[in-house]
This record gives sequence, C-alpha cells and structure tokens, in this order.
Amino acid sequence: MSAAPAAAPRWKAILFRHETLLLLVLVAEWFYFDAVGARFATLDNTFEIVRHHVEIGLLALVMTPVILTGGIDLSVGSLLGLCAILFGKFWRDAGLSPLEAGACTIVVGALAGGLNAALITELRLPPLIVTLGTYSLFRGLAEAITHGSDTFTGFPSSFLALGQGHWLGLPAQTPVFVVVALGVWLLVHRTTFGRGFRAIGFAPEGARYAGIPVERRLALAYVLTGMVAAVAAIIYTARLGQARADAGTGYELYAITAVVLGGTSIFGGVGSVHGTLLGLAAIAVLDDGLVHARLPREAAGVLTGVLLLLALTGSVAPKLWAARSKRRPAPPAATPPSPPLPTP
Amino acid sequence: MSRYFREWSVAGALGVLLIVLAIFAPAFFQAQPLLSLAAAEAPTLVIACGMALVIICREIDISVGSQFSVCGVCAGLLAAHHAPTAVALAAAIGTGACLGAINGALVAGLRLPSIVVTLATMMTWREGLNWWRQGEFVYLPEHLQWFGLSQSAGQWTLIAAAGLLLVALALALRHLTAGRFLYAVGTDMEAARLAGVSPQRVKFTTFVTMGALTGLAAMMNVVQSPQVDPKSGTGLELKTIAAVVVGGVSISGGRGSLWGAFVGLLLLACISPALTHLHIEAYWEKAIQGAIILLAVVADGVRTRRKKS
Amino acid sequence: MKRILPLFLLAGLVLAGCSKSAETSGGGSAKKLTIALLPKSKGNAYFVSVRDGAQRAAQDLGVDLIFDGPTDTDPAKQNELVDNWTTLGVDVIAAACENKEGISTALRNAQSKGIKVITYDADAQTDARTFFVNQATPDGIGHALMDEAARLCAKSGQYAIITSTLTAANQNEWKKYIAERAADYPDMKLVAVRPCDDQKDKAQSEATALLSTYPDLKLIMAICSPGVPGAAEAVKQAGKAGKVKVMGLGLPNENKLYVHNGVTDSIILWNTEDLGYLTVQAAVALAKGTLKPGDTTFTAGKLGTFEIKGDNILLGKPFIFNKGNIDQFNF
Repeated sequence: MSAAPAAAPRWKAILFRHETLLLLVLVAEWFYFDAVGARFATLDNTFEIVRHHVEIGLLALVMTPVILTGGIDLSVGSLLGLCAILFGKFWRDAGLSPLEAGACTIVVGALAGGLNAALITELRLPPLIVTLGTYSLFRGLAEAITHGSDTFTGFPSSFLALGQGHWLGLPAQTPVFVVVALGVWLLVHRTTFGRGFRAIGFAPEGARYAGIPVERRLALAYVLTGMVAAVAAIIYTARLGQARADAGTGYELYAITAVVLGGTSIFGGVGSVHGTLLGLAAIAVLDDGLVHARLPREAAGVLTGVLLLLALTGSVAPKLWAARSKRRPAPPAATPPSPPLPTP
Repeated sequence: MSRYFREWSVAGALGVLLIVLAIFAPAFFQAQPLLSLAAAEAPTLVIACGMALVIICREIDISVGSQFSVCGVCAGLLAAHHAPTAVALAAAIGTGACLGAINGALVAGLRLPSIVVTLATMMTWREGLNWWRQGEFVYLPEHLQWFGLSQSAGQWTLIAAAGLLLVALALALRHLTAGRFLYAVGTDMEAARLAGVSPQRVKFTTFVTMGALTGLAAMMNVVQSPQVDPKSGTGLELKTIAAVVVGGVSISGGRGSLWGAFVGLLLLACISPALTHLHIEAYWEKAIQGAIILLAVVADGVRTRRKKS
Repeated sequence: MKRILPLFLLAGLVLAGCSKSAETSGGGSAKKLTIALLPKSKGNAYFVSVRDGAQRAAQDLGVDLIFDGPTDTDPAKQNELVDNWTTLGVDVIAAACENKEGISTALRNAQSKGIKVITYDADAQTDARTFFVNQATPDGIGHALMDEAARLCAKSGQYAIITSTLTAANQNEWKKYIAERAADYPDMKLVAVRPCDDQKDKAQSEATALLSTYPDLKLIMAICSPGVPGAAEAVKQAGKAGKVKVMGLGLPNENKLYVHNGVTDSIILWNTEDLGYLTVQAAVALAKGTLKPGDTTFTAGKLGTFEIKGDNILLGKPFIFNKGNIDQFNF
C-alpha cells in the first residue's frame, strides 16, 4: 500500500519503519524483563498478559479506524462500564440467558456508538467534544441505573469460562480477540472502507468530492466502536465475575495510547491495525513485566508516558533531521521551510 | 448580539439554573457558602483561562491536572520547610512554567500532536508524583493559609486575583497584537506564518503560559487549607476543557473568548452544589454534567447548520 | 504480507522464550520467603501506614515483602496483580479485597498453585483464603460510627455522609450497616450522601454545599480518610465549628489539627500499623506451618497474642480518637 520513498534503499525503509522500531522495543522489553524478572517469559505468563489486556486490546483495535478518520472516541471506557452493568441487568433482572443478555448488550453498544455517530456526522460536531460529553453521560447513566452501589455477581460458570477458562490451552477470550483483530485488519487494509477511513482522515472535503460517503463511513467507525466496547464489557464481566458501574475506568486512555504508540497519526490518514497490535503488546508487556521485575505500579504509568514520548520523537526525528540538513546549505530567505506534515 | 451569541446563551442557561435555585432552594444564595464556592473555584478559573488560550491556538493540554498536583506539592513542601510565601508562590509558578515548557518544546519544537504529548506527560507526572509522595499529605505552617490574612479577606484576594487575571487576559486577547497572533495561529497556521507570525513560537509561549497559570492556580488552592492533598487536581483537565468548550471556544481553534470560558465554568461549577440544594441524588451528577455538555454543543451545531442551509 | 511479518517474528520469539517454562517452582526452605501484600489502592495514607507496619514485621522476620497495588480506580487491577504474583510464584499473598466476588476467583487460582492466601482489611469469599486478619468487621465499623454519631448529637438531629466514590464496595457495605444501626436511633435523620472522589478539596466543596442546604445539620460523617479533614475545613470556614460536629473514619495525623481546634470531634480507626504488622506475621506463620486452621490463638512477635475466632484473626475493636488521646498516635 504505502510505498517506501523511492530514493531510500529498501532495507533502510523497512528498518526505519515505525513498526520495526516498535518491534525492536518490544523485543528489548521482552529480554530485559526475562533477564531481571522471575518467570516472565513463560507460557503461563504470556497467557496471563493476553488475558489481562484483551479488553483494552479490543478497544484499541476499533479505535484505530476512528483515529484514522481523524476522530477520537473518549467514551469507550465509560461505555464499557455502562454495557457491563446493563449486561448484568439483562441477565439478573430481565431473566435473560447470558447469550441473550450479551446480544442485547451489543445492541445497546451499537446504539450508544450510534449516538456518537449521529452527533458527529449529522451536526458536524468535533468528535473530541461529543465523546467528552458521552464520556460523562455513559458513566453517569451507569451510576444512575445502579445508584452506584448495585453490583452484579453470581454469573453461571459456563459464562465465567469466557473470561477465566481455557480453550485449546489458550485463554478463552483469545478467539474473540483474534476474530475482531482479523476483522478490523481486513476492514482497514483489504477493503475500500479502509481507504475511505484514510481519505477522510487526510481531507474530509476531498474525500466527499471523491465520492466517498463520508457520513456513512464515519458512522460505521463509531457504531463499530460501540459494539466492540459492548463485547469488551461482556468479556470484562466474565473475567472479573462481577459488573459494577466503575468498570473500565480510564481504559480510553490506554486504548488511545496503544493506537498512537502503534504509529497511527492522531490527525488521521496514516496508521495501521498491526501497528496498533504492536503498540498494545508493548504496553501490555511493560505493564506485566514491571510486576515481575518487582517495580511498583507507578512505574508502569511513568514508563508508558515516557515510551509514548520516545516513540513520537523517534517517528519525527528522521524527518526533522532531514529537513535541517536540507535547509542548511540553502540561502536562508529563499525557501521557507515547508510546514511539516503533522504525521509521523 | 450574534458576535457573543454563544456566551449569552450559556449565560442564559446559567440564569435559568439560578432562577430555579432561587425558587426551589433559596438557601443557595447565602454569602458565606457562595464566597467559599467562589474561592474554591478561583484556581479552576485561572486554569480555564489558560486552557482557553491553548484551545484558541488549536492545541489542547490534558496534563493540567497532573501539573496542578505537582506544583501544589512542590510549593507546599517548600512552605513546610519554612520558605517565605513569596518563594513558594514563585516556585509553584516556576515549576508550572517548566512543565509547560516541556509540553511546549515537544509540541512546537518537535511538532508533535499536543493531545498525545500531554496525554503522555499527564500519565508521567501523575504517576511520578504518586511514586515520589505515595499520596501523603503535605502539612503546611499556619501562617500560609489565606496568606496570613483573615479568612474572608483571603477569599476576596483570591477571587479578585482570578478576576483581574481574567479581565487582563481577555482584554489582551482582544486588543494586543500577541492576542491576535493566537487567533491567527489557531485559524490558519500557514497564513499566520506568511503574515510574519512564528506559529511555533506562539505555541511554545502559550504552553509556558498555561503551565505558569497552572502553577499559580495550584498555589491559590494550597493557601485555602492547612494541608495539601496530592490527589487534588485529578480530573481538572476534563472539567476545564468542558467549561471552555461549553463556553463556545471552538476546539478546532481560532474562535471563542475568555468570557465564554468564564460563563461556561460558572455553569459547570454551580451544577454540583445546585444538585445538593435541589435534593437530587449524587448518582445523577455525572449523567447531568454529560447531558449539559452535549446540549451546549448540540445547540451550537444545530444553529450553525441552520445558518448554512 | 511483508507488513505482518513482524507479528510472525514476535510469535516465534514468544515461543522461543517460553521454552524456559519448565523452570520449577518452590525452591526449598533455604530461600527467603516472599510475601506479597496487596492494598486496595496505593497512595492512600491508610495503606501507607499499613505498609510501614508490614515492613517492620518483614524486617523482624527476615522475609521479602512486595507491597503493590492499583494506583487508579480500575477494579480489574487487583485481579491482574494477584495473577501476576501467582505466575511469579510468591509464597503468600495477603490481600485487602476491593471486590469480594471479583478477586476471589484470582485468589482461588493462586491457592490451586500452592500459594497460601490470607486476607486483611476486607475479606474475600471464605473458600478463597485460609485466614482473615480482621481489624474490625464492616458491621463493627458501621455500628461504631453510628453509635458515636448518635452520642455526639444526643441521639437526635440531621446528619449527612461523605463517601469516597459511589461505587466503592467497602463504602457501600459500611453505609448498609450504618443504616441498620440507625434504626435504633429514630430521631437521627440521614439527609444526604455525597461522594468526594477520594479528594480532600472535593470533600470540602461538598460539605460546604451540605452546610448551606441543611441549616439544621448537626453532624457530618465522612467515611473515607480524605473526607474528614475536607469536611472539617468546610465547617471551620463556615464558622460552624462546634455547632456542626465532624466525625468519621480517618488517620490521626491528618486530623490532629482539627481535633485540637475543636472542629472534628472524634475519628474512628484501628491501629493500621499493627494491622500491617499482624498480617505479615500471620502470613509468615502460615507459610512456615506454625499457624494452622483450627488454632485459637496466634502470637505475633512483639505485639503479643491475638484471639482467633473461626478463621478470623482478631486485631481488636475499632478505636475512637479524640482530643484526649490523639497525640499518643503517630500514623
């Protein structure tokens, strides 16, 4: 798809690609934690890492197309909380089976995503503000419905197995994650939808003139996010065995971090789903490895922030360097430095 | 009228809320609690002013809450070690300016997107502070509270300081060249550059100003009680961004005024005590806040849409 | 296709790394014991003092202590830490449970891997741990709070509660038992419950609003530690010190000033350092086999002997700090 700059040798292009650098970081993390931490690089622990990060991973996956369009969704964590308690309500108070309750929850997730989509596309409002509002609204509804204190527990073990059990030796939620990951990857990288997302991210007006149904593409991205947030809520409930109104607090920030770390530009237009997966893995391994290295939890927050800054700097450094070395020999007033692309 | 339409409509919403309160809960209008509320929100107003500047030049800063905590703890620790109040104040503003300069350097110098940069610094400062202090309160010497003045004098000082700052910044934004630069950069960076404004310098300065204002706000919060809670400031970024946006400052830059940010903040600040006064259960609060933010932006969206068609 | 090559590489790497999974657990008696102590949240003065006590016990006994917990309000983080410690292969996990049902699964899983589990501060489901170091049961705390509130108000008047967050499990449990005991005081009327998000400043604003809404308010009860100084500051600023009583669950150090000023009347707590000390002592004894189910007493180093009731090791009743005794404590 995106071809390497013609001038640079091919190996160099591959080496300096964001994904490659991220992979190196990941490998470095892996060997470092294996060296300093006890029982880090074991199969059991790898599965734990996967199990603990499936929900954030799901959110990050569907956040990718949203950010590709130049949008953002701050409401996913709150929506996860709302969906979790609604799932509990459907199951306990409406007497539905977990399967039916799950289906209803996904419908609610789609509706909630639809609300975001409607406000963003119909009224042309900035996604940041719309989802800042629904961030409060969804969490607030979750608290209002449960009065903050109602907790749903005692789910049947057949349902809990989805979050806690194993399937062919893998954590039981892995297949769901793999299916969603593949689906989103195909959507973004192998269909015309994906090109649409990118085009919208580059220039919404241009995309419109090029005949892309901008509103429908945007709506698809946000509705999909709502639905997958509902799926994440169900898995979360199964993993913890309980649903409470504070489920998923702060997950939106982790999801956004994973996407951006994975090389997707926050301004839209550039990015990839496999980049997001790598970014997610880098955060997940860091998060888990620090426990094995016996460093306190605060270190995870600090280092995630630092890693994000380093990745961003790393992604613009070659460009800045090139711009500088190009500018130096030129007469100072001749050509103003071209405004840098805001994308890595 | 149409120039400040948004500001007036938010003021109208605030007016309605106050009328409802006057009818159903007149106890809201008592001098002392209102004074306490105003003093407690004065630091938030200072930050909201800074946030409005940042958003007008088409950037965003979500690290203000963490900066606020760091500055508060630093100033508090200095004061606890018997530094004079002026030194503590300078330290708070200085720390804030340094943290702001880091954001500014990354955004303006390396041209990184501000939302991601400040997301990273938000996490780093917050968790770094937790790591360092483990959530321990800082106990302040007695003379620091209200700058050694009486309580009501102290509260009026804080309110006056925040008010003066608001007026000064608002006038500067309207009438000084530097203020016009901010709008120019927020509206169209390339055009601003061709007109001889250095967008990167404007942005850097704005982030430093934001940091310094956050430091000032932190100090204004510190002097209101005998202990500093390192958790205070959590969530401040969302509150101020919401206030600024509700007040009509456009998130895509170049549009809006500090008056709008001021009314927006007044509206949001009144909601929580108003709910207590109206005997509405606390668990409705977040939903109502979300609904108000959405209503404000939807109203604006509908209006601009109608104008276009 | 080339773009997903890195993923395959990664998968290969993971598998290569996993070849070491044959490493055996345990390690024999020569190894230092490792005790993992899980607070409900870090960066909270309450658990900081628990940690201080725990560290003293760890020093006395020569064991390794890991003290770690969530730094935010994400309820899933506790589970993740327990899972991590399980794979890490610590000897004992001592947990203060934020979510009874939620964390029990993780603790049972740890037990099935041969790790000893005890709980302190807040219990898990009984089959998910061997002992519970019981500093005060939720009903004990709730009843003590309500009794003290009734005593301060002479059994009649309006009162309001400030909690940490609406969703916090322990706060809801305490509220339940406060309400249960309040039935014994028919003239006491609960007018409002407001959350302060575990922030002192927010507690202060909430208390200010409460004071102006309910002019006849006689008492504010804050049941989270930042809430008490916050409420006290609001009462002090409103000039209602003495007229409106302030009490609640909090730490002596954070409240000394207000207790001496006569703003805060009493705070209720147990000795949190002793709680940490006792927990680590019990954890080590359990790992060494000197503490077994069925024992009726337990001797915890220099703290002396504690009674065991069923599978609860009892720290003692909650303690009421007031002007007379608060200076004797430093935590």
